[in-house]
Amino acid sequence: MTYRLPKKDLDQTLRGWANQAEVFAPQKREGYAQFLPWEAGNELLLDEPHNTRFPPKAFFLPQSETLLTYNRKLSQLEMPALQISPRIIFGIRPCDARAVALLDTVFATQENPDPYWQARREQTILIGVGCNQPATTCFCTSVGSSPFAHAGLDALLIDLGEAYLVERFTERGEALFANLASADANDIEQAGNIQKQAEALLETAFITDNLKDHLDQIFDSSLWGEFAQSCLGCGICTFLCPTCFCFDIVDEAQRDERVRNWDTCMFRVYSLEASGHNPRPTRAERTRQRLMHKFSYWLEHADQFGCTGCGRCVRYCPVGLDIRAMIRKAVATPSEAVHVN
Amino acid sequence: MTELETKIRAEAERLLTEHVVDVVIAFRQEDAPLHPQPAFFTRAEELESLTYNGLCANNLANYLTRYPQETRIGMVVRGCENRSVNALLVEKQHIRENLVLLGIPCEGILDWRRIVALTGENVLSVEEKDDSVIVHTHENTFELSRVELLHPSCQRCLHPNPISADVLLGEPKPEGDPTLMRLRIEELEKLTPTERNAWFKHEAERCIRCYACREACPMCYCTECFVDHTEPRWTESGVTPAGMQAWHIIRAFHQTGRCTSCGACERACPMDIQMTYLTDKLNLDMADAYQFEVGMDAETQPPFATLTLDDKNRFIAQGKRS
Amino acid sequence: MSTTPMKIALFQCRWCLYSPEDQAWVDNDLPENIHLVKVPCTGRIDPLFILNAVQGGADGVMISGCLPEKCHFKEGNLAARRQLAEFSQFLDYIGYAQDRVRFVWLDLQDRGRIQRELAAFESALEQLGPAQTLATRAPAATGGTHD
Repeated sequence: MTYRLPKKDLDQTLRGWANQAEVFAPQKREGYAQFLPWEAGNELLLDEPHNTRFPPKAFFLPQSETLLTYNRKLSQLEMPALQISPRIIFGIRPCDARAVALLDTVFATQENPDPYWQARREQTILIGVGCNQPATTCFCTSVGSSPFAHAGLDALLIDLGEAYLVERFTERGEALFANLASADANDIEQAGNIQKQAEALLETAFITDNLKDHLDQIFDSSLWGEFAQSCLGCGICTFLCPTCFCFDIVDEAQRDERVRNWDTCMFRVYSLEASGHNPRPTRAERTRQRLMHKFSYWLEHADQFGCTGCGRCVRYCPVGLDIRAMIRKAVATPSEAVHVN
Repeated sequence: MTELETKIRAEAERLLTEHVVDVVIAFRQEDAPLHPQPAFFTRAEELESLTYNGLCANNLANYLTRYPQETRIGMVVRGCENRSVNALLVEKQHIRENLVLLGIPCEGILDWRRIVALTGENVLSVEEKDDSVIVHTHENTFELSRVELLHPSCQRCLHPNPISADVLLGEPKPEGDPTLMRLRIEELEKLTPTERNAWFKHEAERCIRCYACREACPMCYCTECFVDHTEPRWTESGVTPAGMQAWHIIRAFHQTGRCTSCGACERACPMDIQMTYLTDKLNLDMADAYQFEVGMDAETQPPFATLTLDDKNRFIAQGKRS
Repeated sequence: MSTTPMKIALFQCRWCLYSPEDQAWVDNDLPENIHLVKVPCTGRIDPLFILNAVQGGADGVMISGCLPEKCHFKEGNLAARRQLAEFSQFLDYIGYAQDRVRFVWLDLQDRGRIQRELAAFESALEQLGPAQTLATRAPAATGGTHD
């Protein structure tokens, strides 16, 4: 069953939600779209071709998070209360929601759930908006997703012009969009056309047949060194990536707090060991690591690519490195002719 | 291929085929229309892909410190890049005799953010034509004024012409107006301390500690940056106010007497932080107090590296500006 | 005027107090609101030390060292001067008043001067009031901005 939400009713709908939860939606600040607390009357940014600059993974894995505080004199530890008030993230794109679902395979496992992640995840509802006009940097269809995919979402809205088509996937999604008129046949056909057009705009970024095996076979190729030549080794691609999740735990001794911060395999110090040995001593190994993690190692633990094609790394790399081009070049590198680095 | 690109390729080809250098560092237009990539050519056949245009936003001197000093390097340099090379030579980071600098009098770098603010982000191609920049997107074609698209650091640029290039490829451009940089700092100095502090905090708080500014900067080449020190741990590594503010303050300060105001840091920043207001202030202080300008030659030591008893009367007065 | 004592960080070069009585006073009788950091030479003072003190809630920072020709290590204090003077100017630029960073260059015959300088400094700071702008690591309960 699909439903219809006239755009003129959106504001009222959000107001209703705001009674039970804190609503976040993409709004413009500092010149670009960010997920910010929504208040009645705020202007939303829902139909830009590209997604927000900063990824919504921060709602579940904050860039800096206090894990515990301690008092050295008294030898006491205190865990944070983790009282997360309910949140509704409205306007998240399918690539970002899929990324949250992928990160659930890391942080929300049965065997070893991360309580900090779980506390936030349980209190958050994700309402997506599909991408009618994907950006030139988008490539979700190349990694097994689509501009209207459902993964990770409680509901999805498709912009039909005067109204949204609403698809509800979970009980929480149903509760937020109760009492809506059903979508009629026209709406459904229109949504179907919109989806086809959007997907047609997305060129195939790279071929993924046997990609994992091929990458494993060219592990020792000199290709990685070529990419690494211009790579700055900053953390932009990893920090803006909605699926990167590596973190560092530090004791801020001057504040008696143990903190978890996002970390990045692109930094030299990431893999630097206390002995001084670094198993990834140059940018070549680190560039390789990033690409292999996303397109090979992720498959080993989740049977899916660790990339949802959101395009942020492509848009904001200061030296114009494009992950799509890098994978294409990797695919084109013959696995027989490997050169030892 | 523009006339300038032809000249650059010809020079680069000569350098490679005659084995004058081991590598030519320039730019190449790869996949992203708005972001040419730094490129490293070791064979003449590769030079077909060499590009040079107003979107080449990186300071190529940044890559010098990746090479051992024995490596002979040919490099395309604009005004600021030439000064960065000089600043690196002052710090003995390479040997001048092993460098061939292909100088390009610079018309300023186009800020891709200003382009997308006007055209949207679905840019397919960009073409520079005299004073205009033609941008094609999926939906439209825009003709924009070049001057309005310049990166702010380029708008304030003092020295667009390379001062110690081996070859000059292009007509020299007029020197910049020194009052522009000073005016911007003076505007900030007119604010009250509380207002300046608020501005500082405002710019610092959206930092995501990606360190793109550091990695894009030719003068940040420390193997271990102060933020990675753990014994003792002076700076918090997270996105706390203390951590972010310390990062901005100290990185800027470590550039005192070394920064050429090229703006590569701002262009690299994914959060559009305008951090040059910090380094520009420090550069002005060095000019005012010590008549020092970074990178004007390859020998003069920066003020902080100069220890002289001639200073002695400057700092005796307490509680006053020196 | 403020009723809470001003928090002062004192970076003292260990050679600059020529009188044993002065050094003993600093070592044993320093008022509680003054936090002492002894350094082998003012040249050892990295701007990071000052920033650390400021972020920790210091309302003022005093640096005491030797006169130019009198440095125990010949040139250490010269290294300090330019850097630290510029740093205090830079801090002023981002909102931490330059008057909160005071340099005292001591000579052989200065006796009892450190006590007077500190008292004068504290007075001056009381006029300025507590420093709020950069105390981002100090907990709010102690006047900082970290919650």
